[in-house]
Amino acid sequence: MTQTADGRIVVDQLTKWFGGKVLAVDRLSFTVEPGSVTGFLGPNGAGKTTTLRMVLGLVHPTAGNATIGGLPYRQLRNPTRVVGAALESSSFHPARTARNHLRILCIVDGLPLQRADEVLDLVGLHEAARRKVRTFSMGMRQRLGLAAALLGDPHVLVLDEPANGLDPDGIRWLRGLLRHLAGQGRTVLVSSHQLNEVQEIADRVVILNRGQLVRAGSIAELTAGTDSVLVRSPNLDGLHQALTGQPITVEPVAPDALRIRGLTTDQVGHLAFTAGVELHELSGQRFDLEDLFFALTQGEQPAPGQPPAQVQAGQR
Amino acid sequence: MTRLIRAEFVKLRTTQVWFWLLLGAVAVSALLIVAQIAPSDGVRNASDVPDMFTSSSTAYVVVFVLGVLGVTTEFRYQTITPTVLQTPSRWAIVTAKMITYGIVGAIYAVVAIAVQIVIAVPWLSSKNVTVDFGNDHVRHAIIGVFAVVALFGIVGLGVGALLRNQIVAVVVGILFLLLLEHLLLLIPGVRHAWPYMPGAASSAIMYTSGDKSPVDDVHLLSTWAGLVVLVLWAFVPAIVGAAFSMNRDIT
Repeated sequence: MTQTADGRIVVDQLTKWFGGKVLAVDRLSFTVEPGSVTGFLGPNGAGKTTTLRMVLGLVHPTAGNATIGGLPYRQLRNPTRVVGAALESSSFHPARTARNHLRILCIVDGLPLQRADEVLDLVGLHEAARRKVRTFSMGMRQRLGLAAALLGDPHVLVLDEPANGLDPDGIRWLRGLLRHLAGQGRTVLVSSHQLNEVQEIADRVVILNRGQLVRAGSIAELTAGTDSVLVRSPNLDGLHQALTGQPITVEPVAPDALRIRGLTTDQVGHLAFTAGVELHELSGQRFDLEDLFFALTQGEQPAPGQPPAQVQAGQR
Repeated sequence: MTRLIRAEFVKLRTTQVWFWLLLGAVAVSALLIVAQIAPSDGVRNASDVPDMFTSSSTAYVVVFVLGVLGVTTEFRYQTITPTVLQTPSRWAIVTAKMITYGIVGAIYAVVAIAVQIVIAVPWLSSKNVTVDFGNDHVRHAIIGVFAVVALFGIVGLGVGALLRNQIVAVVVGILFLLLLEHLLLLIPGVRHAWPYMPGAASSAIMYTSGDKSPVDDVHLLSTWAGLVVLVLWAFVPAIVGAAFSMNRDIT
């Protein structure tokens, strides 16, 4: 039981070369805490799935290691009672029924067979229990994968793109379920290439690009200090003068427009009015995580340690 | 381990492959016995009976394929991921599968032999040939067939664990058993290795009378030596597979 008491996932300097040529994951380190939902974000091909497969002992790291509750996955006793994982949505035999798929897992774990029906109810597949997986939609396969992950009532959940193929109702349901599970003190690590899928439920995010850690932290930390004010004026020189001496950063975004950080729209409007500078636009720009994610994972890889405000170049 | 073996049986039972392959084994055994009794130069006296029954060993091809599928289907449909997540020890997985497919092979063997007995005994008695199950040669042939067919379930499993890829394992395995093994006899330097091939070792296990080698200067092993060789064919690929191939990255 000692191993289940602490469901912390620790990834330490994890590195994976495929065939000595492709560097899929590069010295990646992060920690996933119990009692929270952690979003594992990155564009397709960033190395998310490879990382999760290394955490689960399916892929051997070239260097570094990953532990769950202090132990590598392959050293866990009864691992599926400790960690529930749902990876790609296709790991089912097409000619086997959903119920039989889960019953086989029950037998290996020594669980009563009715546990299969319980988790099918939980994920809303009760009606489809006796249907062959061949007939399942993508969303139903996702639910079945989730059912399998929940079978052993694990303390840690590792889910790879669980929202893929779910309809909007399904995504809402998934969010509720994950929040509920984290609320029970479980560790939930959920990967996605679409930020909006996890933005509302993730307490923390780990952002990965090209195998490297881009940023890790709470959503509040990542977006702090990134609100800005967009001003358009035919008299930018006058505006610059009016802003002189203010503790701000100014960034030109167009021949007639500036992005200002460090002041509110009220303050900028007041300064312009006082200096008699004509304004054609004055708008507050809330910088949401989506912009950050986009900025962090597109184009040039930002150097580690740069503050987010400078990383995002203002493109929308 | 009991749970793992139970789970393997349920895996097999909950898809339809076992049924079609069993049907195949029954059909092959029935056809071969008919082909031996029906022609005018077919089985005519009691001394032909032991060799007649060895034809049911042809079910070994079917059982081999079943064993191959026992591992490679998991890779094909990626059910290997949940399997390995539940049981990280590749040794435990392969051992459970070896036991399961050994037992399944034995069941197929019994069915194949039973089909031949059911057809042959009444038919031959109408031709005034008595099948004497107390006869040592008849017993030897039947027990030999049983051992060979059951072991081929494990041979197939080992080849599957070694190669992982379903089509490659099935094609390479069948080509080897039905063709390449016999071609060995045509190659001067290595033809003396032929008795150690799985098919030749099987013949050594089953046949009691005469030299069944198709050539004069290369001879089959003794029954027991053949059994040892076939057991090695069953276990070595499985062990190598568990130690290496099964341990490779599962992506």
